[in-house]
Amino acid sequence: MANTNIVIDPLTRIEGHLRIEAVAENGVIKDAWVVSTLYRGMETVLKGRVPTDAFYVTQRICGVCPTSHGHASSMAVEAAAGLTIPNGARLVRNILEAAEFVHSHILWFYTLAALDYVNPAKALQANIADTYALAEAAGTKTADFKAVQDRLAALVAGGDLSIFSNGWWGIDPVKNPAEADALYATDMPAELHLIGVAHYLEALEMQAEAARIMAMLGGKFPHVMTSVAGGTAWVPTEEKIDDLLYRWKKVRDWVWGAMVPDTLAIGGFYKGALSYGGGCGNFLAWGAFNREDQKAENRYLPQGIIKTAEGLTVSQPNVSKVKEYVEHSWYASPSGLNPQEGKTKAISEWTDKTYDLEGKYSWTKAPRYDDAPMEVGPLARMLVGYLSPENESNKAIKGIVDYALGKLGTNDPTVLVSLLGRVAARNLEAALICDWALEWVTELVGVVKAGDAKFFEPYEVKDGSGAGLWEAPRGAVGHFINVKGGRIDNYQVVAPSTWDLSPRDKSGVLGPMEQALVGTPVADVEKPIEAARIVRSFDP
Amino acid sequence: MTNAGISFYEKLEKRGVSRRDFLKFCGSTATVLGLSSAMVPSVAAAVEGAAESGLTPALWINGGSCTGCSESIAQATYPNVADIVLDLLSIPSQETIQMATGEYAEQAIEASHEANKGKYILIVEGAVMTGLGGNTLRVAGKPFIEELKTLAKDAAAIVAVGSCAVDGGWVRAHPNPAGGTGVSQYLASESIATPVVNLPGCPVNPEEITAVVIDVLMLGGLEKLVPKLDKYGRPKYLYGQTIHDNCPRRGHFENGEFVYEFGSEEEAKGYCLYPLGCKGPQTKRRCPITRWNDQTSWCVESGGPCIGCGSFNWVDNNAPFRGRYRRVGQGVFGLQGGGVEPTKLAAGIGAVAAVGLIAHGFGMKAAGRIGKNAHLETETVKEWDAKHQKKQGGA
Ligand code: SF4
Ligand code: SF4
Repeated sequence: MANTNIVIDPLTRIEGHLRIEAVAENGVIKDAWVVSTLYRGMETVLKGRVPTDAFYVTQRICGVCPTSHGHASSMAVEAAAGLTIPNGARLVRNILEAAEFVHSHILWFYTLAALDYVNPAKALQANIADTYALAEAAGTKTADFKAVQDRLAALVAGGDLSIFSNGWWGIDPVKNPAEADALYATDMPAELHLIGVAHYLEALEMQAEAARIMAMLGGKFPHVMTSVAGGTAWVPTEEKIDDLLYRWKKVRDWVWGAMVPDTLAIGGFYKGALSYGGGCGNFLAWGAFNREDQKAENRYLPQGIIKTAEGLTVSQPNVSKVKEYVEHSWYASPSGLNPQEGKTKAISEWTDKTYDLEGKYSWTKAPRYDDAPMEVGPLARMLVGYLSPENESNKAIKGIVDYALGKLGTNDPTVLVSLLGRVAARNLEAALICDWALEWVTELVGVVKAGDAKFFEPYEVKDGSGAGLWEAPRGAVGHFINVKGGRIDNYQVVAPSTWDLSPRDKSGVLGPMEQALVGTPVADVEKPIEAARIVRSFDP
Repeated sequence: MTNAGISFYEKLEKRGVSRRDFLKFCGSTATVLGLSSAMVPSVAAAVEGAAESGLTPALWINGGSCTGCSESIAQATYPNVADIVLDLLSIPSQETIQMATGEYAEQAIEASHEANKGKYILIVEGAVMTGLGGNTLRVAGKPFIEELKTLAKDAAAIVAVGSCAVDGGWVRAHPNPAGGTGVSQYLASESIATPVVNLPGCPVNPEEITAVVIDVLMLGGLEKLVPKLDKYGRPKYLYGQTIHDNCPRRGHFENGEFVYEFGSEEEAKGYCLYPLGCKGPQTKRRCPITRWNDQTSWCVESGGPCIGCGSFNWVDNNAPFRGRYRRVGQGVFGLQGGGVEPTKLAAGIGAVAAVGLIAHGFGMKAAGRIGKNAHLETETVKEWDAKHQKKQGGA
């Protein structure tokens, strides 16, 4: 086994279980292994069940992005049945999915990632009047900053830090502020830390509000109940649409008013993070949010493939070029299969040698496109949209990305292929989706007013196969189904995490997150916060 | 103890929760607990007392989960409920939100474990992964089951949140390649007798967790909750009635007004979803009353038939979800008494499973709502469905 000097396990504040091993030399990571430590056997569980059940079961892959898995699953069944869903259902699904994206991005930035950039202990030193002035200058929302600071002070004085205990900032953040400081941007004013903490608390409510939109349309979140294959079980009324509009406006105003300016203000102090963490430089997006023609090549978030080594150009993806390798994964099924024909069979025995960084070391397979690793997620989507031929999506994406680049003092989009680029892409995308969601609600009003709206198309699928290629908040998701005699003969899922958390492949090529870790500077191998930032930037 | 010296109401005000909001919260908690509004002041007093007297240490660990139950908890914010509960519990470790990571996260668990032996509540989310000697889930470099055993032995009590922790959930569904099972089942096999409170559902309902915590405070101790649990370790007040018992569409069921196709005119009228496979009549849970996401909606309200995600072994027992098929006792409950009487129940698990499902899930027959000729133990197609073959939703 290779000799590693950085181990992070469990990697917290993510969905699922993850272990990171890395070797650092002279303060820079030279090699890295990303280890998924959980296997639950979803694909085996689905075999033999009826296709309509897949929507319910597959959502349980991920409690943070269940809606996307549900949609991909329904789309796979619809593809196998040769079915197009009614326009009303398309809008309802877009609005539901948009709520999941925005919910997930808010939750990710504030609850899961911000604590790596914002130090709650430091917020105690903020001057309240200066905090208001800074918030105004940064164009971000104000809050009752005094109350937030008092609350933090009480927490620290009480000695029980609850979830804030044992942070990177040392065992005692109050006694060792200097040590804690070293892990954050030293020049970031205490006032900005306080703004971050205040919005961290507001974000809890805003992500819940976005989830309530999903609950309206889907019965509950997590695990929505209505986007069944064929359309949706939810039927809009004028009253429900009013409620939707109200909630979307509230979320939209907060995202534009707090999340976007916070990202740019905090990002301004972490500009070093524009120079590392880029990873494999290859990007894949299947695209999401259908337009009326429901064509994959015409989605709001466009599909595309980018290989930055070959220049900043985008091409259309072809799913037959996807293969999954298992040489370094704990599977005994054949390697190099396209997921439509894929097999998933776990190894049958575990010995002392089973966990082997030179052999098998992860429960994640290694998917490759045209034999290259691909990063998926908001950065992939924003880059694909940015480089796509001019249309409405491209204009909107280019507009907001160029604005953000300007705020960070550059006009060079290649800097986005970095840690900071990956963080910013996610938050800018949230803002765009809020605006689109409001358009879709308006469109839905039109459809309902026209009177003859349909929301479900009956179908039957005895034999057939198909793929649902779509996007989850954290990246491209593919569900692949083969139906024989009305039962699922084979079901395979290539989740966003499968792409990003991929281990090495047959040729030893590192996965996207592994490549992003290599080259990352680490100030203290005992507290490798920079490595954790890289990992969390993928929203694993 | 946090916030020493500040009264509870001052604290609430500091975080923007008015006394009125707080009482509203106590009111909805009382509803979940099945208490009358006369009990609201007692709920308030219990929360207030606990917040002033100190924190109950709780450790939260994740087994084979999708993090959906943690997500679900994050949705309980009205009015700042998360804050109030955080004030009652000290949670130094919760993988999804805690600040610490890696070794520091492990230290946070270990420190609390050592300091609070015999006093802390262990909250488990996700299935217990037993496959490949426990290596289908490793945490901090070792099988998760090792950590579970260590922490379970010294806990005052365990709360299994969500179906995966209760009986393995979907992870244990046939053919269960990864070896997922439930906490009480696993602990029984390891002869660990710490009591387990089971809160099945996929996901768990956050208001119901809050309600259980508050109930324990009102009772004045976790051990006093045990008599209020059913033989599967579930609080009776949460799992005593079927979805169907409280469903707002129930009137249409009785009138024979049904939805036969999603998105249809009948759905717009709010007719009953029974022909589309609704498992409300056989699922014991409080969804129509507690509802979801700050009482915004729930499955049936949005047009989605109940799939019975709060029943035991729900995927095997309830699938195909869209049909009206019955598969009594085919699945194994995987539940051994929720730690209340583990050994006693472990003995007759097969029989208990079948009897339990028939007696509890299918109370409709006793209530005369199903034809007397229906043989619930063996039937695969219900009488209603046999008569309406053409009218079932797609299976
Ligand atoms: S069958 Fe379902 S929808 Fe109909 S009344 Fe019962 S619980 Fe409600
Ligand atoms: S209504 Fe049924 S499917 Fe929905 S959450 Fe409750 S038990 Fe689960």
